[in-house]
Amino acid sequence: MGSACSRKRGQLVHEDELYSVRFSKSGSFKWLLHTLSRSSSDVLRKAQRPGPGHCPSLVELCVARVREDISRYSDFSMLPRDLSQQIFNELVEWSYLTEESLEAFRDCALQDICLEEYPGVKDAWMEVVASQGQSLLSVDISCSDVTDSGLDVLKDCSNMQSLACNYCDQISEHGLKTLSGLSNLTSLSLKKCAAVTAEGAKAFADLVNLVNLDLERCPKIHGGLVHLKGLRKLETLNMRYCNCITDSDMKYLSDLTNLRELQLSCCKISDIGVSYLKGLSKLAHLNLEGCAVTAACLEAISGLASLILLNLNRCGIYDEGCENLEGLVKLKVLNLGFNHITDACLVHLKELVSLECLNLDSCKIGDEGLLHLKGLLQLRSLELSDTEVGSNGLRHLSGLRNLQSMNLSFTLVTDIGLKKVAGLNSLKSLNLDNRQITDNGLAALAGLTGLTHLDLFGARITDSGTNCLRYFKELQSLELCGGLITDAGVKNIKDLKALTLLNLSQNGNLTDRTLELISGLTALVSLNLSNTRVSNAGLHHLKLLQNLRSLSLDSCKVTASEIKKIQLASLPNLISVRPE
Amino acid sequence: MAAPAPAQHREAEEEAEEMAGVVKLISAEGFEFFVDKKAAMVSNTLRNMLTSPGGFAETREGEVRFPEISTAILEKICQYFYWSLHYSSGKETAEFPIEPEITLELMMAANYLDT
Repeated sequence: MGSACSRKRGQLVHEDELYSVRFSKSGSFKWLLHTLSRSSSDVLRKAQRPGPGHCPSLVELCVARVREDISRYSDFSMLPRDLSQQIFNELVEWSYLTEESLEAFRDCALQDICLEEYPGVKDAWMEVVASQGQSLLSVDISCSDVTDSGLDVLKDCSNMQSLACNYCDQISEHGLKTLSGLSNLTSLSLKKCAAVTAEGAKAFADLVNLVNLDLERCPKIHGGLVHLKGLRKLETLNMRYCNCITDSDMKYLSDLTNLRELQLSCCKISDIGVSYLKGLSKLAHLNLEGCAVTAACLEAISGLASLILLNLNRCGIYDEGCENLEGLVKLKVLNLGFNHITDACLVHLKELVSLECLNLDSCKIGDEGLLHLKGLLQLRSLELSDTEVGSNGLRHLSGLRNLQSMNLSFTLVTDIGLKKVAGLNSLKSLNLDNRQITDNGLAALAGLTGLTHLDLFGARITDSGTNCLRYFKELQSLELCGGLITDAGVKNIKDLKALTLLNLSQNGNLTDRTLELISGLTALVSLNLSNTRVSNAGLHHLKLLQNLRSLSLDSCKVTASEIKKIQLASLPNLISVRPE
Repeated sequence: MAAPAPAQHREAEEEAEEMAGVVKLISAEGFEFFVDKKAAMVSNTLRNMLTSPGGFAETREGEVRFPEISTAILEKICQYFYWSLHYSSGKETAEFPIEPEITLELMMAANYLDT
C-alpha cells in the first residue's frame, strides 16, 4: 500500500541550503525547524540552555535576577552600556520586554536593538529606540506594526550600520525617505516591503556605504533599481521572488562590480537580463532559480570567473549551449535540477573538478551520463532523484569517496546497483525511496555505519531486512513506509537512540506494541505512525518522548481527545498533532 | 628525586603551587576577606592579577584592594566564588541566592571582576 503514498520534496531549493548540504530534506521536518523560534514555549528554551556542566557567571545570574524582578526597575541608564545591553537582550529572549519595561532603557546608549518578530512592537516603542542616539548601531524591527512616523524618529541615529524592517507592511514610500539620512548603513533589509517602488527606492541612492541589501519579495520594485546604480560598494543583493523585476531593470546592476552574491530567483528576467551581468567579475554566487532563462544565458555567465555557486534550478535549459559551463572551473555548487538536459550536457561538467554539490533532480539523464561525473572527486552531495539513472550507472560513482549525501529516489536503481555504492563510507544521507529496493539491497549497505539520514519511504523492506538497521547507530532520521514492517521489525529500530525523526506510517500491521518498543527513543522530535493499528490504549507509551514536537496518527484507532490528554499531561513540546 | 621530573610533571606541580594558599580581598571600607586562591581565580580579573608573572604587586603580596566594592557586595562575591567551585564539581545544585536590593550593584562588581 505504500506505493500510493509516494511524495516529492519541497518545490524550491534554497541554494544556501544546498551549499551547506543539509540533510533535513523531507518537507515535514523542515517545517519543524522553522518553528524553533520565539513562539515556542519557555520549557523548550530552558531545555536548550547549557546543561549542568556550564556554571553560570555571576553577571549572568544577576541579569536573570533583574529579568525576574523587572517591574522593580525604571531606569538602567546609570549602568555601563554592556550591562544594560545584556539585560535588554535577556528580556527580549525571554519575551519579558513590554512597552513599560522598555522605558527603563531610555538613554542607555544601547548599540543593538533586535526586536525581530517581537510581539507588540509599534510606533510608541520607537522613541526609546531612538533615544540611544549616536550609540545605536543596529536595529531590527521586522514583522512589527511600526509606521512611517515610527521610522522617522530614527533619522537622528545616523551612526546606524544595520537596519532590518522585513515584513513591515505599515511603512509607505513616503516613510522610506527617512532612510536616505542614514548614510552609514552598510546593511539594509526590507523583505516583502510594498513601499519599495520606483519612487520609494529613491532613498537608496544616498546609501553609498551599503554592502548588503535585501529586497526579497518586494512586489512593486519594478523601475526602482535605477537608484541602486551608484551603490558601488554593494556585495550582496537579494531580490528573490521579486516577480515584477524584468530585463529592463537589470541594466542598472551592470556597474555594481563589487557584487559577490546576487539572488534573482523567480524574477521575470530572460537571457537578455542576464547579459547585463557580464562584467560582474567578483560574482561568486548567482541564483537564477525559476527564471525564464535558457542555456543561451550561459554565454554571459561563462565569463564570470569567480563563480562558486550557480543555481539554474527550474529554468529552461536544454543541452545546446551547455558547453559554456566548461570554463566555470571554480564552481562548487551547481544546480541544474528540473531542466531538459540529457547525458549530452553532463560531458561539459567533466572538468568541473571543484564541484561539491550537484543537483540533477528530474533531468533526462541516465547511466551513460554518470560516466562524466566519475572524476568529480570533491562531490559531497549528488541529487539524482526522478532521473533515468539505473543500477548500471552507479558503478561510475563508486570512486566518489567524499559523497556525504545522495538521492536516488524515483530512479531505476535496483538492489544490484546498491552494491556499487556500498563502499562510499562517507555517506551520511541516503534517499532510496524507490519500489525496486528490497531487503537484499539494504543488506548490501550494512557497512555505511556513518549514515545519519536514511529514507526508505517506498522501498519494499520487510522485518528481516530491518536487521541491518541495527548497524546504523548514528541514524537521526528514518523513513520506512513500504507497508511490510510489523512489530517484530521495530525491535531492530528501538535501540537507534539518536533518532529525531521516525516515519513508519503505512505499515498496516503495526500495533501498540510498536509504541511500547519505541518508548525509549527519547530524542524523537517527529513521529509518524499514520495508517497503522496503533490505538488509544497504547498512547501512554509516548509519555517519555519529551522532545516530541510533531505526532501524526491519522487513520489509526486513536481519538483526538485521547491524544490531547497525553499532550497536556506529559508532552509539553508537542505542537503539531494529527488527528486534531 | 634522582632524575629530573619530566616537563609535563613540572608544569602540573607549578600549577598546583599557583592554586595553593589564600589571598586577602579588601573592601572599600577596609574589611578583609581571606579566600582560597583557587576560589578567587573564579574571577578572570583576579586570575590575571594573581598569575601574571611579576606584573602586579598583588601577585607578590597576595592581597587585592577594591576601593569601589562595598563590604556587603564583596562578601556576596566571595560566596559566589565558592558556590561556583561547588557547582562546577557537581556538588552544588541549589540556586545562588541574589537579593533584589543588591542585584545591580552586584552585577557591576561582577562585571568588573569578569566573573
